[in-house]
Amino acid sequence: MSKEGEYPYILRIIHDIMKKLIAIFLTLTLMLSLVACGSSQNQTIKIAVAAPMTGDNAEYGIGFANAAKLMASQWNEKGGVKIGNKTYKVEIVEFDDKSDSDEAQLISEKIVSDPNIWGVIGHFASGICMVAAPTYNESKYVNISPSASHADYSKIGEYIFRNNTVIVVETKTAAEIAVKDLGASKIGILSIDTEWGQSAGNAMEENVKAIGGEVVLRQEVSTEAVDFATEVANFKAAGAEVIMVAGMYGTLAPFAVACKNSNYDVNLVGCSNAYTENLISIAGAAAEGIYAPVSFFAGNPDPKVQEYVKAYTEKYGSAPSALTTQAYDSVGILLEAMQKAGKLDREAIKNAIYQIQYDGMSGFTTFDSQGDAQKVFTKIVVKDGKFVVAEF
Amino acid sequence: MHALIGTLINGIALGMAYALIAVGYSMVFGILRLINFAHGAMYAFGAYMVYFFVSLKLGLLPAIMLSILMSGILALLIDKVALEPLRKKKSIPIATLITTVGMSFIIQNFLSIEYIFTSEKKGFPSLNLFGSFTVGNVTIQSSQLIMFVVALILLAILTLLVNKTKIGLAMRATEQNVKAANLMGINVNFIISFTFFLGGATAAIAGALISGYYQVISPTMGSLIGLKAFSAAVVGGIGILYGSVVGGLVVGVAECLAAQYLGSNVRDPMAFVILIIILIIKPTGLFGKKGISKV
Repeated sequence: MSKEGEYPYILRIIHDIMKKLIAIFLTLTLMLSLVACGSSQNQTIKIAVAAPMTGDNAEYGIGFANAAKLMASQWNEKGGVKIGNKTYKVEIVEFDDKSDSDEAQLISEKIVSDPNIWGVIGHFASGICMVAAPTYNESKYVNISPSASHADYSKIGEYIFRNNTVIVVETKTAAEIAVKDLGASKIGILSIDTEWGQSAGNAMEENVKAIGGEVVLRQEVSTEAVDFATEVANFKAAGAEVIMVAGMYGTLAPFAVACKNSNYDVNLVGCSNAYTENLISIAGAAAEGIYAPVSFFAGNPDPKVQEYVKAYTEKYGSAPSALTTQAYDSVGILLEAMQKAGKLDREAIKNAIYQIQYDGMSGFTTFDSQGDAQKVFTKIVVKDGKFVVAEF
Repeated sequence: MHALIGTLINGIALGMAYALIAVGYSMVFGILRLINFAHGAMYAFGAYMVYFFVSLKLGLLPAIMLSILMSGILALLIDKVALEPLRKKKSIPIATLITTVGMSFIIQNFLSIEYIFTSEKKGFPSLNLFGSFTVGNVTIQSSQLIMFVVALILLAILTLLVNKTKIGLAMRATEQNVKAANLMGINVNFIISFTFFLGGATAAIAGALISGYYQVISPTMGSLIGLKAFSAAVVGGIGILYGSVVGGLVVGVAECLAAQYLGSNVRDPMAFVILIIILIIKPTGLFGKKGISKV
């Protein structure tokens, strides 16, 4: 009896053990497959580019997207971004804010609702950036604007960076061109009536005064203005020798035309955003002799820059602008910071950006404690229908 | 003093171009009692057509001619496609008004279509054909003179057309009483189409003149100028041709003076400030007649 009874008992034990083993095995397989599933889903990381893709500033926005895609494809060709011990492909997602605050607000909310977006490159105009930035900062999404130049933008929060120099630094070089290089003592300032235009105009005024120049007249116009006959006559009457323009190409180009048509031989100095092909295509011969300080210049003889310019030109048919290049570098900075952080953690990525020393196309870039990029400027001028390095 | 003269020259030249646009509002209003809000967009369309034909290397003058034709036809089509059906159905006036607003947006968006025009500002060939010359301290641009002279000649032709020709007589008859004019054997539908064509053509000429002066165009360029010209038409008394000319000059000069003496920011609102002041003092406009209420 007992022998007969022992046998099934042992069997039962074996059976039990087998059952448990299978259960453990199944659970393990399930868990492993889940993990595997999870990691295969996260094989790509997304970076958002939010900028005006249509409307007046579309040239800038499309440039941002193009540059970002170029940088992403270059990383992907090299295998992708190595974070910890996994590598990820980079995907760029475009958002069109139409240079509109309401649209930018909606987009920022859309972006922070996607957990696989690890950073935002954009927006374009300072005013628009400052509408969207608080949303990114609250949700701990790193936001690098390649173009925002308003002083208060990066003060919005720790996660808000700019890969553009603040207007005070930029206009310092502009003032230097006007007062020191062109040797003018009487400076006129034309600014557009946006938040950016006003602070840029103020910065120009301060910088000109700081190096001994005199601002004889400051005039403000709307961004849509095309009739500058009155303004030109006023500058002429005030005896301005150099006029500094705090506006986009949409203002600078027709203003240059108005100066030329009024037989007013005056040197114009713009901001870094004057460096676009549109300036020359609109103003034509009137664009001759417009100066601008830029962080990046495609005509730079550095082979590394030339290689990038060639790659960009082959892909998109025109040379990259300074702001476009800052967008290109912004993606690079973000990806390198992610690699340095070693984990997909928004706080770690943010901290890595503060530490970064990035040798990009728009100069050797570091960030100060405010999140503002520090760069060196090149002075350029339009000569024979082309931008060249200015010689004084 | 020099500044004042320069400002006046700029204001008068611009004012004449505004008058040219205002006349288009006035003519259509005279005949249909309709404010054609698509008129500003027609102005932009005219400028873009010139830009388009110039980019095909047709030369500036042929490009302007073609643009005038195209804009005239577009204005005519707008009437045929959208406004005439509404008139036939005797729909309320506000429906026609809203339709013209809608049309202006359709045209504006057409002008910002990607691959054809794109929504960015574009350079426009200069009309400063004979350069600029300086008299004393005042610089006069030949584009300003061209704008003034061309607008003046066209306005004179239009006045002659309306007052001295058979078709002008028919237009005036239609303006007074559509039904009676029809009974007298006037082809009222043709007169309406003709008026729209004229409106579109003058808007295109104004578009070419003003764009050639500023040398820059954008799809939305017509909206503000359209409203300014509309104010000019109302200031002068809408429906009265010479009223539009005076209205245009008043608006043009006033906004340039405002920019000179009150600051550039005051420039654009000036047309509307004048509009409000005139309407308070004389509700029918400077030369407007009291409307005869038809029973």
